[in-house]
Amino acid sequence: MRCRCVAVAVAWSSAALAEPVVIDAPAPEVLVRSETHFRLYQRALAPGPNGALVTEETAAPIVEYVSLTAHDLDGPGQKRSLDVELDVWGSATFGEAGAGRRMDGDVQNANVRYRNGPGWLRLGRQHVAGGAARYARFDGVAGGAALPLGLGADAYAGLTVLPRWAARPGYHQLGSAADSLWRDPAAFPEPRRAEHWLAGGRIHYDSPRLDVGASVHEQREAGGLAYRNLGADARYDPSQKVTVGGTAVLELDARRMADGRLWAHYTPLLALELEAEVLHAEPALFLSRQSVLGVFSTDAYEEAGGSFRAKLWRQLTLTGSGFVQVHSRADLGQRSELGARITPGHTDRTVLLLSVARVDASENGYVSMRNAWRQRIQLDLHATLEAYHYRYDEPIAGYDTSSVYAGTVEWLLSRHLSALWGASYARTPYAAADAQTQVRLRYASGGVR
Amino acid sequence: MLALACVAALVAACADRAPSRFPHARHLSGLRCGGPGLPECLSCTTCHKLTATPKQVFPEKRLCTRCHRGDDPEMLAVTPPTHVPPPLAYTIRFSHQKHLAMRDVKGQCVPCHAGATERDSALFPVMESCFQCHEHQKQWDRAECAPCHEKRDLERLLPQSFAKHDAGFQRNHGQAARQQQKLCQQCHTQQHCDDCHDASQDLSVEKRRPESIERSLVHRGDFVTRHAIEAQSQPARCARCHTPASCDGCHLERGVSGGHKNGRNPHPAGWITGAPSGHGRDARRDISSCAACHDQGPATNCIRCHTVGAYGGNPHPKGWKSARSEGSTMCRYCHEN
Repeated sequence: MRCRCVAVAVAWSSAALAEPVVIDAPAPEVLVRSETHFRLYQRALAPGPNGALVTEETAAPIVEYVSLTAHDLDGPGQKRSLDVELDVWGSATFGEAGAGRRMDGDVQNANVRYRNGPGWLRLGRQHVAGGAARYARFDGVAGGAALPLGLGADAYAGLTVLPRWAARPGYHQLGSAADSLWRDPAAFPEPRRAEHWLAGGRIHYDSPRLDVGASVHEQREAGGLAYRNLGADARYDPSQKVTVGGTAVLELDARRMADGRLWAHYTPLLALELEAEVLHAEPALFLSRQSVLGVFSTDAYEEAGGSFRAKLWRQLTLTGSGFVQVHSRADLGQRSELGARITPGHTDRTVLLLSVARVDASENGYVSMRNAWRQRIQLDLHATLEAYHYRYDEPIAGYDTSSVYAGTVEWLLSRHLSALWGASYARTPYAAADAQTQVRLRYASGGVR
Repeated sequence: MLALACVAALVAACADRAPSRFPHARHLSGLRCGGPGLPECLSCTTCHKLTATPKQVFPEKRLCTRCHRGDDPEMLAVTPPTHVPPPLAYTIRFSHQKHLAMRDVKGQCVPCHAGATERDSALFPVMESCFQCHEHQKQWDRAECAPCHEKRDLERLLPQSFAKHDAGFQRNHGQAARQQQKLCQQCHTQQHCDDCHDASQDLSVEKRRPESIERSLVHRGDFVTRHAIEAQSQPARCARCHTPASCDGCHLERGVSGGHKNGRNPHPAGWITGAPSGHGRDARRDISSCAACHDQGPATNCIRCHTVGAYGGNPHPKGWKSARSEGSTMCRYCHEN
């Protein structure tokens, strides 16, 4: 049997070699996506700052997301080498806007990528994440290249994106209702973008079974050092069933490890996945080096645990996880969850999710239950229902339970357009009754499904 | 119990009893055919007309009605289930005609589509089976998927035989995103990361995608009430995405921020001076939670007590060190004299 399989494989290979497949270059493609959210809700600032009476505000914001991506456009000296991405959002609030802004918006990404052979270059608004860098958005340039022997390198540099059209740092404090001082934007210094910049890079070795990389990231805020990190990451597949990996970020200013993580993933059977993980983190090193609070602590905590996913039958999958936290002062905490995914019948037309979770933290903890149901009523009509219930160990604002109920109905009007109606109702320690509703229209030229 | 029984009954009533896919095996090998008075035997190409174009052609319904006619209820059951979506793989740029004409394939479909005759096998071959013959090394090195896949489909396809997006993937995807940057970018734009990680946008991903009940999202349910517990449970986890400004903006609005001139104090009585479980202990344990309200640069209220010479004492813990000079702006908040 084995010989026969090999013979077939050889025969297939020879057939393929005898008649090489010619693959055309991909055609240029432009995709447009749009999402419009019409929302309606009442809100209250409870219990009201400084003893103020609680007043209810009815708000009806509209939020619009638009994305434009173009792939494989012809670039200078190279056909099908340019990719373009533009993502923006904007919102307008009708009714009582409260402390928020009536009009808001931002450009999330606006960049052009040029590919040529093993190299690439991206110019414009983009983000970087992973390695020594935490998620950071910048206006600048990034580039990389695959080098011989499986080596590679990438680098980036640019001006850090300040929120909301380069608003003044501390702009959020303008929302303070009781403090008239902060209502004047001139109370904050004019931002100087040149003083907010970041740069970094990564060198790496990649092979089918091993990825190893070292990275650096430096970020400045108002001219001062915010982050200076050295990162290391590795992933190794000793077999098809096992993957191990790890990451570490060293804070060079404090000369301590901000966080480090080791993990192993084992798939003994197609239907069973196991994962184990150990994490070390030092909270103070997640703060900017410009934060005066960052010098107040060197405490760390360790977390260890694992998770599993077992597909017992086509209709039943069990999931679970458990993690224990050990803090510097010998405090212990834990978080665990057990869940089931039930799909009665022959397809995923009906999906039922049940889960129970328990969290123990230093001052409080909770037990939560979640039930969720998704039903494909017709090929173009889907509905979901969700219910959450929490019981807190210690009362929060005098209450020890909270509940949230939510539901959606989505209608695929065409291949490119869908309409969704969603609503939620909650009773929480902060709201005797919280009811929200929204209508979402989604368009995608490549298809919404 | 009654509620559970009602839910179970409802779920059972809604469950799909229609076959999840066309019963290929029954048609290909389970029919009595070819003999006197029996219909002719079927092969794959009886129904699937192969063309030179990459797009696969699914059989037309009229082909079924050649046999499914008369009064036999089983023979009349030809209506396909209306709620089973077609497979996404149908837009792979692949010429069946060309492959079937190859000398060693000999027009056989089953070696690739084993599920057509074997109940427990996949009907559509995984990508690994393409690589048994085609290396595509150049495209692989450049992480170019589009020559075979349609770009517009990539975001909706889940890799099955490599870069598997399995249970552990969600926890490790950040590392993979940096290590396999080029590969990820074949399917995902930067916007795909922003959906969850851009904490500055107006709508959280939970509100943008309320129908995605199976996605593992951080702020599900009543997150506002439990957020303090979550922050205590995994200190600094919030700081991976949120800056102190994004916490403080909300806390200011609700009057529970150190930056709010007349804000109410959320801390219990005696918390400032209490020992050993007072504010110092909590600050050492998770200073990033303190920063959510008390990080106003030189106006930070901690400085009042902990500046050099004040009664709060030296706030630096044992073993604390910094590579910066004492003249740096931040050091001078406390050390200017």
